[in-house]
Amino acid sequence: MLDVITLFLFNIVIYSIPLLYATCGEIMVEKSGSLNLGVEGTMAIGAVFGFLAGCKADSLLVGVLVSFVVSAVVGSIFSLFTITLQANQNVTGLTITTIGVAVYFFVGNALGANWPYLRDCVRLNKSFSQIELPGLSRIPVIGKAFFSHNILVYAAVVIAILIWVYFEKTSTGLKLRAIGENPGAADSLGIDIVRYKYLHIMFGSGIMGIGGLYMGLNMGGTFEGSNCWINGYGWIAIALVIFANWSTTHAIIGTFVFGFFNTLRVYNMPLATAFPNSLGWLSKIPAQFFSALPFIVTLLVLIISSIRSKKTGGSNSPTAIGVNYYREDR
Amino acid sequence: MNRFHLIRRSDVSIWKKLLYYLIGIVFSLLLGGVFLKSLGINPLRYYRDMATIGLIGNYYPAKSVEGLLKLFVPLLITSLALSLSFKMRFWNIGGEGEFITGAIFAAIVAFKLGDSLPGPVVILLMCIAAFISAGVIGFLTAHLRVRFNTNETLVTLMINYIMLYIIKYIGETKADWNFFLRTDSERPMFAKFPDAAIMKGIKIGSFNLLYSVIIALLIAVVVYIYLRSTKHGYEVAVVGDSVNTAKYSGINVYFITVRTVFLSAAMIGLAGAFTAASSGTISTDITNNVGWTGVIVAWLSKLSTPVICIVSLLISVLQYGCQAASASYSQIDHNFADLMQGIFLFAILAADFAVNFKVVRTGSKKDA
Repeated sequence: MLDVITLFLFNIVIYSIPLLYATCGEIMVEKSGSLNLGVEGTMAIGAVFGFLAGCKADSLLVGVLVSFVVSAVVGSIFSLFTITLQANQNVTGLTITTIGVAVYFFVGNALGANWPYLRDCVRLNKSFSQIELPGLSRIPVIGKAFFSHNILVYAAVVIAILIWVYFEKTSTGLKLRAIGENPGAADSLGIDIVRYKYLHIMFGSGIMGIGGLYMGLNMGGTFEGSNCWINGYGWIAIALVIFANWSTTHAIIGTFVFGFFNTLRVYNMPLATAFPNSLGWLSKIPAQFFSALPFIVTLLVLIISSIRSKKTGGSNSPTAIGVNYYREDR
Repeated sequence: MNRFHLIRRSDVSIWKKLLYYLIGIVFSLLLGGVFLKSLGINPLRYYRDMATIGLIGNYYPAKSVEGLLKLFVPLLITSLALSLSFKMRFWNIGGEGEFITGAIFAAIVAFKLGDSLPGPVVILLMCIAAFISAGVIGFLTAHLRVRFNTNETLVTLMINYIMLYIIKYIGETKADWNFFLRTDSERPMFAKFPDAAIMKGIKIGSFNLLYSVIIALLIAVVVYIYLRSTKHGYEVAVVGDSVNTAKYSGINVYFITVRTVFLSAAMIGLAGAFTAASSGTISTDITNNVGWTGVIVAWLSKLSTPVICIVSLLISVLQYGCQAASASYSQIDHNFADLMQGIFLFAILAADFAVNFKVVRTGSKKDA
């Protein structure tokens, strides 16, 4: 019975980590004042190229680096259009999603039978296998659930904390937040807005790409002609940014909550059978409800927080989000 | 620090504009050609097969045109509807959700009343149900936006996915209450509408011209007149230009926003009803991504009604053509249409920049 709980918690972590990468990336992008709706596409491109490169070189590190770089290039395209060419952010982001997912299918179909098998990549598999943290993984129930994961899981948590430190404790992080709040004022302080935005959007997009690669590896790396690996996670990440109130440390908890919903969708039956008296009702809730729950919760958070901030002014949302900065309009 | 800076301009002649956009389109086709070439496909042959939507060597050309129009009608109506809210700078990206809402409510009417009322009445009621139900979603998002400054992009985005999972729930759950599904099938499958609820058309030889095509074109004319020559259209333009100007000139911004977004969402719901009625059933992928493609079409068209008509037809040809062509090219599937759409949009966005801005070398003040 405890095994069910351990397995359940273990899977929550597995489901939430790609969201953590994507959410941290998107928080970084949004803090610079840009709403990038291209998360899904950025992840898809990072995933497919990172995976192929990782398999070719038989190295997880190469895969991670390639997915980071390729996704950062996608981020630079978003930056080029929204910052330099002053194009609408929503439209540019949606287009990146359209193109990104299409590129995923294009590459997959083009390779056809030449698509690499993950199981042939011995060294890559080895570096993606679980690492038991000494001591911690011995704790009953939660030890196996939380401290026995692959390296990308731990890296995601570290990245989330580092980004938090960057925003809160460094002067460049402070400047970035200033740009997101009031680009005109930041500009008059002599902050090079264009460079800041480009770099942070590229970096944030790169992190999203690693999340995409993680999803691909987690699904065994097989290309299916009908379903993209990312499968809507990019959109959930955009929702999570709001749920986490634009904080990457809150995002760790937030992704866990969303991962919990997602895992319930799959594990409601095992849980209900393991605890028929207390959790039997779980089996009656339709799977689609759990799928929709992240979006329902985010919708409620959006509405409630906007009503509250109307009264108290309390949201962490960057004020200038979604608005292109054009100096002459100041 | 910055060697160059941007200046807005509005002095580009119409011919120059057209030239910029033409360069963008040619560039996109060349880039697409490079992609095709890399797969060993002859780009010219592929483009020809795509542009002729499988008409050449087809024994039933009428079917191809009907298939094309089935893509065209929802895309046209959705793009027109989105252009209404975009004109007001209201970022309704909830086309998918509103479309599904319309389709579900149309289906409810079809299943509940389809057997007891005559055909035209049923279809009219389906359209009204879809119009109002989707419109209510638009009304709520607009209300939140104007009253509490809730980010409408994110709200409509969330609603898209909530509606998607609702229609999936309906389509995947076998239960006594679920009148949407076939009773004679073990696996959950959406049932066919009663005959009265299926849209008929005018027979021209072997070609069946659905009424929805005619209505869609009429809607385009109405939207054109509405935005161009009515007081409502003028108010939309003012609110879109500057909310403050609108306020000071005594325009009721709340009312205008709510009314316009209601109409915008309701029209998308109507497109959902048309799609459901013309195919005689609903499905979980009934939208065919029209909510997303509509955003791209509206933007490619610069929100101009006549251009939307042309662009949505061209995009439908692209989509249908890629579908048809994927039958003869195994290395590539219909997703190539999405890739081309995206490339086209980026090329047009770049051309926009050339049309709207001038890059100027910053004067010697800074260097000195």
